[in-house]
Order: sequence, then structure tokens, then C-alpha cells
Amino acid sequence: MIIIGERINGMFRDIAKAIREKDPTAVQEWARKQEAMGSGYLDINVGPAVSDRVSAMRWLCEVAQEASKLPLCLDSTDYDAIEAGLEVCKQPAMINSVPAVQEKMDRVFQMASKYNAEVIGLAMNEEGIPKDAESRVALAMELVANCDAHGIPISNLYIDPLVLPCNVGQDHGPEVMETLRQIKLLSDPPPKTVVGLSNISQGTKDRDLINRIFAVMAMANGLDAAIADGCDEELIAAVATARIILNMDIYCDSYVDVFKNQNL
Amino acid sequence: MAVEIMKEKYRSQVREVVLGATKDEGGTRSTTIKVGGESTLPFLHFEGAVPNRPVVAMEVWDVFPEEWPQNLKDAFGDVLNDPAAWAKKCVDEFGADLIALRFKGADPDVNDASAEDCIAVLKNVLEAVGVPLIVYGCGKLEKDNAIIGPIGEAAEGENLLLGVAEQENYKSVASAAMAYKHSVIAQSPIDINIAKQLNILISEMSTPLLDRIVIDPTIAALGYGIEYSYSIMERARFGALNGDRMLGMPMIGNVGHEVWSKKETFIPVDEEPGWGDQAERSLAWESVTAMALLQAGMNILVMRHPQAVKLIKQNIDELMQDNSY
Amino acid sequence: MGLSGLEIFKQLPKTNCKECGYPTCLAFAMALANGKASLDACPDVTEEAKEALSSASAPPIKMVKVGTGDRVIEMGDETEIFRHDKRFNHPTAVTVEVKDTDDLEARLAVINDLIFERVGQEYTVDMIALVNASGDAGKFKAAAETVKEKTEKNVVLVSEDAGAMEVALDVLADRKPLVYAANKDNFEKMTELAKSKECPLVVKGDDLNSLAELVDKIVALGYKELVLDPGSRETSKVLADLTQIRRLAVRKKFRTFGYQTIAFTSKDDPQEDLMQAGVYLSKYASIVVLKTDKKEHLLPLFSWRANLFTDPQKPAQVQPGLHPIGDADENSPVYCTTNFSLSFYLVEGEVSSTRIPSYILSVDTKGTSVLTAYADNRYTAESIAAAIKSTGLEDKVKNKNIVIPGLVAVLKGALEDESGWDVTVGPREASGITKFAKEKFA
Repeated sequence: MIIIGERINGMFRDIAKAIREKDPTAVQEWARKQEAMGSGYLDINVGPAVSDRVSAMRWLCEVAQEASKLPLCLDSTDYDAIEAGLEVCKQPAMINSVPAVQEKMDRVFQMASKYNAEVIGLAMNEEGIPKDAESRVALAMELVANCDAHGIPISNLYIDPLVLPCNVGQDHGPEVMETLRQIKLLSDPPPKTVVGLSNISQGTKDRDLINRIFAVMAMANGLDAAIADGCDEELIAAVATARIILNMDIYCDSYVDVFKNQNL
Repeated sequence: MAVEIMKEKYRSQVREVVLGATKDEGGTRSTTIKVGGESTLPFLHFEGAVPNRPVVAMEVWDVFPEEWPQNLKDAFGDVLNDPAAWAKKCVDEFGADLIALRFKGADPDVNDASAEDCIAVLKNVLEAVGVPLIVYGCGKLEKDNAIIGPIGEAAEGENLLLGVAEQENYKSVASAAMAYKHSVIAQSPIDINIAKQLNILISEMSTPLLDRIVIDPTIAALGYGIEYSYSIMERARFGALNGDRMLGMPMIGNVGHEVWSKKETFIPVDEEPGWGDQAERSLAWESVTAMALLQAGMNILVMRHPQAVKLIKQNIDELMQDNSY
Repeated sequence: MGLSGLEIFKQLPKTNCKECGYPTCLAFAMALANGKASLDACPDVTEEAKEALSSASAPPIKMVKVGTGDRVIEMGDETEIFRHDKRFNHPTAVTVEVKDTDDLEARLAVINDLIFERVGQEYTVDMIALVNASGDAGKFKAAAETVKEKTEKNVVLVSEDAGAMEVALDVLADRKPLVYAANKDNFEKMTELAKSKECPLVVKGDDLNSLAELVDKIVALGYKELVLDPGSRETSKVLADLTQIRRLAVRKKFRTFGYQTIAFTSKDDPQEDLMQAGVYLSKYASIVVLKTDKKEHLLPLFSWRANLFTDPQKPAQVQPGLHPIGDADENSPVYCTTNFSLSFYLVEGEVSSTRIPSYILSVDTKGTSVLTAYADNRYTAESIAAAIKSTGLEDKVKNKNIVIPGLVAVLKGALEDESGWDVTVGPREASGITKFAKEKFA
């Protein structure tokens, strides 16, 4: 599983402050730290801090890339902001995200095609998040068909089955697992899968424990990536271990260190 | 009808390791050799770069190789008593890309040669040839640990490829490489997990050594479990191309050493009429073993018979021809 | 092999008519991919789509057979790029070339006599390739008659002259030979010949593109018992072509290349011939045609084939029993291991390098390693004691002392009781044998 480090987000105070004051220090510190601990992408989200999301996104992308060689995951519902980010990305980025809503898919897949970007597709539409796996997979299929229609390799599409907190949407858990499995049958090669990991533990008491157990269970069901806390040591150790058990990495005694140090 | 050619996209590539050092670089070699660096599986030029061809090292011993079969000894004429002349002949006549000097004589059960004795031989060989050198001890741990430091020191800056670091015994070789600017053979017993762990252990001593490690996965001879080595090498190389940095080193195989002790190389035809001529068979055993290992990604072949060397070099020439579509 | 939802969806009419019971064609495609629905439920699916969907679920590489009865050789039906992912199923057919201008009787006698025995396995040449080198149909026919009479080997008939092929095939059709080859000029006639005699046919292109074109034309003529020759003859190019064919068939399910392959060596020197054949055998050729018929060249090739096609999921075994190393005699040490080939060869290598003549007793553990066999109750005091008896070891050595692996030191007492021998606990790993032997036996 690839970790998309979630820390560069205007929801956090230090990042909000950085954006307002155009001071790259905090952004670059988190970029370096997440890279050093094995994240595969840096999520970039301007958050609610500013009104000019377009220029904030552009600035965040620029300063993050000065500090890290990781690809970026541009996280916004404002597609103009995403496009502004894509324009300054030095390597193919990931667009986060698009629901299975036709006009949005048209815009996003066109952008993805133009900038050779990957796309996170959400298994939801105008009607919201479905509960059962079958409906989630049907929405995933729409995303796959649209992706294919734009000539984008399906392996550049990450489907997010959408996770609800386990204290309020407990019955969604098994459906998410089933969705992860079925998505792999959609095409050959299949789309990848991603979740926003911390959603599962919103409002619960032991969030880290729930996050990492969910991560390894989802991996066993085929999860490829997660937007998560890339500095959570225990999460990283759990992910590294799951990768060994799933035969995704070759074992050696120091496998956790190898996973952490992959960007060094 | 245009067939859509299938090209794999790999995340990574094999590390490139330089062997030997010229005068400008602090050594005395007339040429250096680069191995590794490929960004595809063996010889698939159509989808990736194979910047450096696999190379052949020929073995030279510090003592007369009594135990070699007669036809192997005959191939060298009268140089086998003189390591320098032997090395020179390998380079000048047989086209060896580099020399693998084995201090068999250091074995307490052979001559128990001292570090000074070994250094004298090493200096002679360094003087006789301009190619980079691989250095092996006698295979007995205690003795090898005792001689490797002085040998490394005496050849400081030459960037020898020093053998062999093992999981339970890597510090003396790695230290010698660190202190005196050499490269290291990291040997694991047909075990991919240990191969990986050993590289980590060595890199913990010195991170820059990561680019000076060559993996010896321990190869078996044709007919003696070579398929295990073959699959371990394929897995390691596939892992390396897919981003496993701790398995992304070039690989070396002790082909001659494994092959020439096997009975297929020395049983005469009158004892095994079904096996055909011993001389031809023995060198075919070595060249086919090497051929198979090349197909699994071997970068450095350590070999013995000049004719087998010639055959494998020809095979490498052919395989290095571009096959892009 | 299942089809993905997208592949199925592309073949559906996309009318969203709901008659299948699903709200959309997409949902129906997913149900099909999951095996929960049948294509028959769709009222508008075309015959073409049905055909495409059913052929896409066939195995990636079609199995083709040459020969009949006991001598039939099965090839193709491969599913892997790397042997370690599962296994390579059908060993490459090693085929020796003979010409209709050769002294055929003499050559066939030599080839018939090529029987190799190594580590308890027997190998013979699988096929001969009879080449119409004379360019003369009459000579080719006569040669086919000699082949029919003088050997029982399977045959590849090599002539791109359809007239010559017809007369030779008349002679040998009962043997179900492989017909080589249909090219862009003769394919209609060759296909008709192969089809009428029910013999497999090689399709020879000038490159991958022309090969694909020709395969599709021959399939359109209604014949699918095919073998592919991309036409390349340079080592590197053949390696690339064979790799592409295997990948496209297995990974992309490209039906046009879903057949086995044949490769010809191009060297006159027999050792170079052997090297080239080795490359093609390693990388995916189902049939390798080479020129040398010398035992000393073919033995290494057969050995490599045996190794490469060993099932990685089944442990490779050596003959259980007593193996003398050097001139072992009544005073020699005895080492005991299993018959797992890797354990055995490691021990054998180390024991040989002690230069002390010794015996290795290899206990039948069905090819499992020391610890696995111990856990499985195959490497026990009883089984070792039984092996000591059955091999007659008691009459061969005087000292009645046996060395067991350090990993199973726990067996010492039980084995001494069971066998009446002294038991010495050896090193845990084979690599410790040299030091151990020096201390104990030198």
C-alpha cells in the first residue's frame, strides 16, 4: 500500500498560517518528514484558510516540490485550483478527486489526459454514498468506463469506495471490503483503490489503533493506497508487515526500515 | 497488422557499480569496468536500457590448481605456476574482462600463505595486467578475516572487488572496503531474504557502500540445483526493477568454482559412454551454466575454461545487439 | 480465466433495456464478471460478441500436439512469464535437424541411439526436423520414407514448397508430424494440406506484424492447430520476439499469438549452436531445432531443460541411498542428510571439499529438507535407522558412527537406541562441515 501523506492541509493550523503568511517553512518541513518516513505521495489541500484557492494551491505545490521529490496529490473540490496545481507539477500528479457525476468526470478526465495525471474517483454520485457494495461497484464501473473513454490507462485510476466512521456507519465496513475486492474485477489491468484512512476512526477513542487495523484489513482485500498520517510509526510498521505477508515485498529481517527508507 | 508491442514500465533500475580505479582515480588500472545500471530484464533492449554488458572474470590462483581436470589445465599451457603470467595470458589471449585472484594458498591446509605472501602475488598480478581485479580468500573464515585487511590496505585505492562478506561474517571485508576504497561481494546461501538483509547490514556500516556492493546469490551448477539460483536471481532482479533498493545491486556468480568440481566435468567417456566426450562436455557444462545465469540477470561471471569464456563472450555479444521494434 | 467487467461491457449493446434483469448494461457486465448472470439473458448481444467473449476465456496459449499414441508430445498451454510464479508446464521439445541430402540412415542411427541417463532420469531427442535441403520433391519424399522406416521419432517436415510438402506428408501423415511452414505465399495450400491430414502447422512470418497477419488469415480459413515462427534468426531478436509472443498471449490475452513457438539455431559451430539453443529454451520456445547430435552437447541442454521445467512448488529430489564421495572405504565418515536436492548438493559440495573420502546417506524424505522432514515425521530415528540397514551400511564401514545435522541434534539418543550406532551431532549448516571434519576426521 502506498501512503499519501495527509499532513499538508490547510485544516491544520500551521499549514493555514503558512499559506496566509506565504512562509514555506512548515510546508517544507512536513514534506521532508513525510518523504523520509516512506510516503509515496504528498497530499496538498489548501483547506478553508483562504479565499483564493487557485493561487494558494499553486504556491503550496511550488514550495512542496522544492523540499521533496515525491509526486503530489492535489486535493480539492475546486477544479480550477487543481488545474493551477497541475500546471506547476514537475512530474505527473494525482487529482483528488472526482465523483461519478457526468459533468465532473468530463472535466477531470480531460484534465488528467492533458497533464498525464492519475485520478481518484469516488464511488458516489449526486445521490450520495450508497451503502451496499453492488451500488458502489456500479459507480466504480462508471468511473472506469469514463476513464477508458478518455484513453487514460485504467491503472491510473484510483477508486475510493468511501469509508464512514465505524462508530456511526458500522454496517458499511463489510460493504467497503467487498467493494475493494470487486473493483479488481472491473477491468484488466484493474483500477487501483484508495481510501481516506482516518475517516474510519472519526469521533472514536483509539483512532490510531482503528486506523491501522483497518489499513491491513483493507490491504488484504486489495487496497493499493491510503491518504493517511505518514508519520504514524505504528501504522507504517503495520503496513510494511502487511506488504510482507501479502508477498508484495521480499522479506528480510529489517523490512520495516527498508519500507520506511524507500525514498532515501 | 501492427502488433502492439508490450513494454513493461519499471519503477527503478539496477545500481551501477564501478570496478577498478585508474591513476586519476587513485589506482593503477588502465581501464575500469562498469556493471549493472539496467532498467529492464536481461537483454530486453526494446523496453529499457542495458548500458553495461555482462562481463567475464577469469580465475587465477596463487598456487598450481592441482585438482583441476587435465583438459582444463592443458588449456593454459605452462603458466599455471605463475599467477602473473597466468593472469596476463587470461587477459591478452583469452579476453578476460577482469581477473579473479583466489588465494587458495592461504588455506592453512594448503600452504598457509601469510598476508605478506598474498600481497606479493597481488602486486605481481596488478603489475602484469591493467584490468580490474576481484580478490577471493581461501574460503576459511578465520584465515580470510586475518588477511583481507592487509590485502585491502596494500592495494588501497585500486577499487578491488573484495570477496566475500557473509551474514555472519561481513565486518572485516566491509571494513577493508570502506577504509581502503574497494568494493564488496555480499554472498548469501541461495536465500533471497539473507541477500537483502546482508546489504542492509553492510549499508548500516556505511551508506555509500550501497553503491559498491555486488550480490553473490550463490549459484549452483547446471544439474545441481541451478534452478533455485535462477529463480532467486529472477525474483531479486524483478524486485530491484520494481523499486527494492536493497536488492538492486549487480550480481556475480562463481561459475567455474561450482562447475569444475562436478562429475560431468571430469568423468571420462569410457566410464559414462552416454555422456559423450569429456573435454567438450566439461566446457559445455561451464558455458551452459553461464548462459542460463545470464538469462536470469547475472552481471559478472567468474569462469575458468578459455573456450567456455570465448563462447559466453560471443553469446553476450549477440545478446547485446539491439532488439528494439 | 475470467473476463473483466470492462471487457464484457465493451461487447454489450449498451441499450440499458433492463430485460436481463439488471438496471444497466454496466451492472449486467459486472454480474457476468462475477459469474452471477448468463450472457443468454441479453436479448441484443451479437454473435460476434458471443464469439469474442467465449474465445477470450480460453487458456492463453493453446496446447498443440505432435505425434500419436505413446509418442505424442504436448506443447504450449503455458500460463507464466516467470517459473517462480507457478511453473512452466511443458518442457521444450529438443529437435535435431537432418537434411534430405544427408546420409540419413547413418544420421538416424546416431539420433536413435541418443539416450542419456543422469540422476535417475532418462532423456532422448524428442523430434527430428527433416529439411528439404535438396529443394527436390522426390528426394524429400524418399527421405520421408527413410525416416518412416528407420526411426520412430516424431517429425517436423521442413519445406516451404507446398508440392514437396504434399508428397512427404503423404508418407508420414499417420505420424502426425509438424508441418513447417506456411508463409505469406503458400499459406492457402499449406493450410489445406495440414487441415486435410490433421497435422499441426507452423506459421512463419517475416516479423511479428506479418506473423500476426498470417495467423489471422489461417484462422479465418478454419485452422487453429498452429505453431508460431516469427522468422527472426539472430539471438537477440529471437529472444525479443519469443518474449513478446509469450507476454502478449499471457498478459494481454492476444489471441493471435495464443500458440506455442518454434525456434531454429543458426550456428555451424556445435558449441555456439548449443548456446543459442540454450537461450531459446530458457526464454519460451516450445520447440528448439538445433544441428548438433553429439552427446556431449545435448546432455547439458537436457540437464538445463530438466532444471528449468522442474516444478518450483514440488521439492526436487535426489536418489535416496548411500552416495560415496571420493574413494570412500570402511574407515570413512558417514554423513546423513535428506534427499531434498538442495540439501544434498550443499552437503555433497562441502564434504567433497574436505577431501576426506566419505559417505553421504540420503534418507528418503520425499524431497523435503531436514527441518520440514523432521516436522513431518519423515526424518526420524526410525527412518534413519532403516536407511542404515537397507543400504547395507553396516557391512561397508567399521566405525559405526554417523553424523547427523545439528538442526536435529535432538534425534541423537533415539537414533543410538534404534540403530545401535554412535551418533555425532554435526554442524547446523552445511557450510560448517569443513571445519567440523577437520576437527573430527582429519
